[in-house]
Amino acid sequence: MSRLHRFLRTPEAVAGTILLAMLFAMALSASLLFPGDPQAIAGPALLPPFQNWSLPLGTDRLGRDVLAELFHGARTSLAVGLAAAAAALVVGAVVGTLAGFAGGLVDEVLMRITDAFQTVPGFLLALAFVSVVGPSLGVVVVAIALGTWTGPARIARAEVLSIRERDYVAGARVIGMHPLAIAFREVLPNALPPVLALSSVIVAAAILTEAALSFLGLGDPNRVTWGGMIAEGRTVLRTAPFLSIVPGIALVLTVLGVYLAGEGIVETTAVRRGLS
Amino acid sequence: MSLLTVSGLTKRYSRGGKTLTAADDVSFHVEPGETLALAGPSGSGKSTIARLVLRLIEPDGGRIEFEGGDFLALGGSALRARRARLQMVFQDPLAAFNPRATVARVLDDPLRIHGIASRAERPRRIAALLERVGLAADLAPRAIHEISGGQRQRVAIARAIATKPSLIVLDEAVSALDVSVRGQILDLLLDLQREQRIAYLFISHDLGVVRAIAHRVILLDAGRIAESGDARAVIDTPRSAIGKALVAAAPRLNRNRP
Ligand SMILES: Nc1ncnc2c1ncn2[C@@H]1O[C@H](COP(=O)(O)OP(=O)(O)OP(=O)(O)O)[C@@H](O)[C@H]1O
Ligand SMILES: [Mg+2]
Repeated sequence: MSRLHRFLRTPEAVAGTILLAMLFAMALSASLLFPGDPQAIAGPALLPPFQNWSLPLGTDRLGRDVLAELFHGARTSLAVGLAAAAAALVVGAVVGTLAGFAGGLVDEVLMRITDAFQTVPGFLLALAFVSVVGPSLGVVVVAIALGTWTGPARIARAEVLSIRERDYVAGARVIGMHPLAIAFREVLPNALPPVLALSSVIVAAAILTEAALSFLGLGDPNRVTWGGMIAEGRTVLRTAPFLSIVPGIALVLTVLGVYLAGEGIVETTAVRRGLS
Repeated sequence: MSLLTVSGLTKRYSRGGKTLTAADDVSFHVEPGETLALAGPSGSGKSTIARLVLRLIEPDGGRIEFEGGDFLALGGSALRARRARLQMVFQDPLAAFNPRATVARVLDDPLRIHGIASRAERPRRIAALLERVGLAADLAPRAIHEISGGQRQRVAIARAIATKPSLIVLDEAVSALDVSVRGQILDLLLDLQREQRIAYLFISHDLGVVRAIAHRVILLDAGRIAESGDARAVIDTPRSAIGKALVAAAPRLNRNRP
């Protein structure tokens, strides 16, 4: 049975995949379905949902189309979530591999740096970084990655420590391979699976962090974000609660989808390992 | 001049406050084209000596001279270049290769690293190496876990001879193989030695195999050399206590005696 087959047999994987597929569809179709500027005024302010079918989810305080904002926000959430997680995984894997493989002073220094980053709560770090450098999409990605690379680094290091004692690493040294080639070509690929198992949690956390930063007004001001929409809606929470509820639901479903799909992948690979 | 001269080699490990001397003032030499066996009970320091000779671990004392130069003085790229002449075959042929590797990649690495053949030439070299160790050339694209244990050990030997070494360290290289395969691999090793004048440092706990393949033998006991000499003479009439115990414990040898 193929891996995809097994993956699709776990119910949480199916649910997660459907949610993620919807999110991707929203993100990819955003500029097709809503070609204009989602921040442009589209109708009367504070139109409730399901009243006017050209504006199905109504409008916000300034008369912007909520559905268009939701679609364009999916884009930001997905882009920031994936980019930040990828950056965190790459940096973590490289730092962890260098520390574990080199040992000695290099390991000591790299792990003290990792400790230092880990003692500061990730969100505070992101907050501080964006406040100092200024909000833009790239800065938000870096800010989130700053607080999340330590987990992958620790796991990669632990894995590398066990792998580097294996005969095949000694074999690579015996044939005269350069230590960096051994670390990154022979050891790192075999240390990746447990690191990648973290990726769903990291993507989910990154999406939430981005939303939280935007909610506090530290997101990229030129882009619609779900966190920003919730913050906008907060001022009229009593009269127009849907303005906060709609992006809130989108956020919850996205994080749930990422998490469930990740669980499904971990489960399928666990089954595969159990069988082999 | 000897190919390999080891003198006063010492390696200590500290475990829980106590120091254990895994190699204690070990001296020996290996001549070109010769097989020197290291035998001894489990934990006597055979693998430690192999790893020291290969510079996989560093000694606490002693000297290693290889091909007329101070081998311990080498470092970095000079050491990596010299490694072409001093190769190793491991006991467990599955553990000795990257689990993601293919047969071709395993053989390509040494050829590439030591600039032995151009990229275009390498597939032919790989095929020739496979044929030399008695394998079909079409095994090359297979993953390393898709071939049998005996085939894998042949690939390990092909990799070891790829760089035309003068000495190969074999740490229990035939111990994990079943008896018929073991015989074939030993024959292959003898052929290669005759053909290319490769010396072997042959580690084994099986005195039957040692008697059949080695010219000389060193018996180790707790990191020290207990006895050494002509392989047949030592195994037929051991003088040290550990030698007598090892011979008494080797069933195949006992049966051959009157
Ligand atoms: N990395 C290490 N740390 C601590 N002690 C070690 C280490 N490596 C080996 N030793 C100890 O050194 C001694 C010699 O070990 P070595 O592996 O050389 O024995 P061996 O003769 O190869 O045994 P075997 O026949 O079981 O392979 C043993 O007591 C072993 O426990
Ligand atoms: Mg051993």
